[in-house]
Amino acid sequence: MHKSLKIGMTAGTLGALVALGGLAPAQADGHVAKLSVLHGVPGLTVDVYVNDELTLDDFKPGDLAGPLDLPAGTYKVAITASDAADASAPVIGPIDLPLEAGKNYTATANLDADGKPTATLFTNDISQVAAGEGRLTVRHVAAAPAVDVLANGAAAITALTNPNESVLTLPAGTISAAVAATGTTDPVIGPADVNVAEGTNTIVYAWGSLADKNLALAVQTIDGLHSNPDSIPAGEAGLVATNQANESTGLIVGGFAVLMGLVAAAVVGMRRLSAARR
Amino acid sequence: MRATAGIFTALAVALVLLTGCTTAPSEASSTAYVPPTAATTTPAPAPPPAAADLVPTVSSALDQNQAPRALAPQRIRVGSLGIDMAIEPVGLAADGAMELPKDPSIAAWYRFGPSPVSATGATVVAAHVDSLVYDIGPFAELASAPAGTEIVVTTEDGQERRYAVESVQTVNKADVPWDSIFDRTGPGRLTLVTCGGEFDYDARSYLSNVIVSANPIA
Repeated sequence: MHKSLKIGMTAGTLGALVALGGLAPAQADGHVAKLSVLHGVPGLTVDVYVNDELTLDDFKPGDLAGPLDLPAGTYKVAITASDAADASAPVIGPIDLPLEAGKNYTATANLDADGKPTATLFTNDISQVAAGEGRLTVRHVAAAPAVDVLANGAAAITALTNPNESVLTLPAGTISAAVAATGTTDPVIGPADVNVAEGTNTIVYAWGSLADKNLALAVQTIDGLHSNPDSIPAGEAGLVATNQANESTGLIVGGFAVLMGLVAAAVVGMRRLSAARR
Repeated sequence: MRATAGIFTALAVALVLLTGCTTAPSEASSTAYVPPTAATTTPAPAPPPAAADLVPTVSSALDQNQAPRALAPQRIRVGSLGIDMAIEPVGLAADGAMELPKDPSIAAWYRFGPSPVSATGATVVAAHVDSLVYDIGPFAELASAPAGTEIVVTTEDGQERRYAVESVQTVNKADVPWDSIFDRTGPGRLTLVTCGGEFDYDARSYLSNVIVSANPIA
């Protein structure tokens, strides 16, 4: 009893080990968080400090940095003027960014709706999309009221406000995108061609300031989210087949015919035999 | 007594005939798919980022940071096999398969995957091997292509891109690893796909895919 219990426990332990082993590759891929940083504050070249270490030097408006692979954890990010000696006098932050393993983030330095510099942490959707489709994420990080996003002239996203996002899944292809005050179709940005690439999260940011007339679009792409076709049926006539039409069926029918014939012959033979014995 | 022996003989003959014909069509026409060397080469590990100024930074402007447009392949020629076909860009059929032109003399390129100018991954070009309407297509010749056979693909910029066949494999459709066929990683390469092997005359479908792996000629 004691022995079998021990064996049972060993089997259980082995099972747990196997389970852990199965998880290991996923952990190898997912033990870090990915962080990109977008500079969306017009007219301000900055330095970015992560945990008091200078990470981005002379970071210019409209620039996108990363992605950085970072172990999961909470990071303190401070954004200073580009001539600052350290992180002690930030113009934005410091803010805490909690980053989870296996997730993909973009932190933006941006204006809030009233035009005050701030920072925003977005989590990027890196789940798979179906073959032939792309994901379009639109983020409002501009000093502007609620907007509509027009795709090919029609409102695709309505009443998007700072600092929020809207995520669409679309057939892959290029769309003409424009941004208008919500409820209107007169563009304040664009129209501009946006490639909603297949298997990719195309992230478009509306940034800048409506009052200062420097609204602009920024774009970030995360690829590798694709799915694949599941087959290629590439023939229908059998003209180059390595087997013959109906060959097996023919043989089975033939085999049965031979069998039935022989059985009939044998029956006839037995009858004749018994007739002869009489 | 003799009659009984006759019955046994007859049954034995019939059984041999039956077993013979049921095993005959299962002749080995395909083996497990072996990935081409290009797909299995492990890339050199990236050097560890050291200083702050090594964080890659790009302009996020719309005209500079969008996904690049692919350069479509438009023609495929294999001189030694008499193949010279136009290539159409295709997507997916309603059932999730790769779409193909009905005419087997027209090849198809999976336009969502890599193209010959992509930095990584397999450019997939496929064509029907035959058709009830159009007869046998040029890709029927692929099954007999020896290693080293040269393939020339012309892209829409007019450039000719040359590849050499590494392997030709006939793989049971159920065993084809489609994620490897449509791989978007690894060195740039060309993968040609058609049908072949045995044919299911009831389902009107081949049981295998013929898969040609080819690498760029430097």
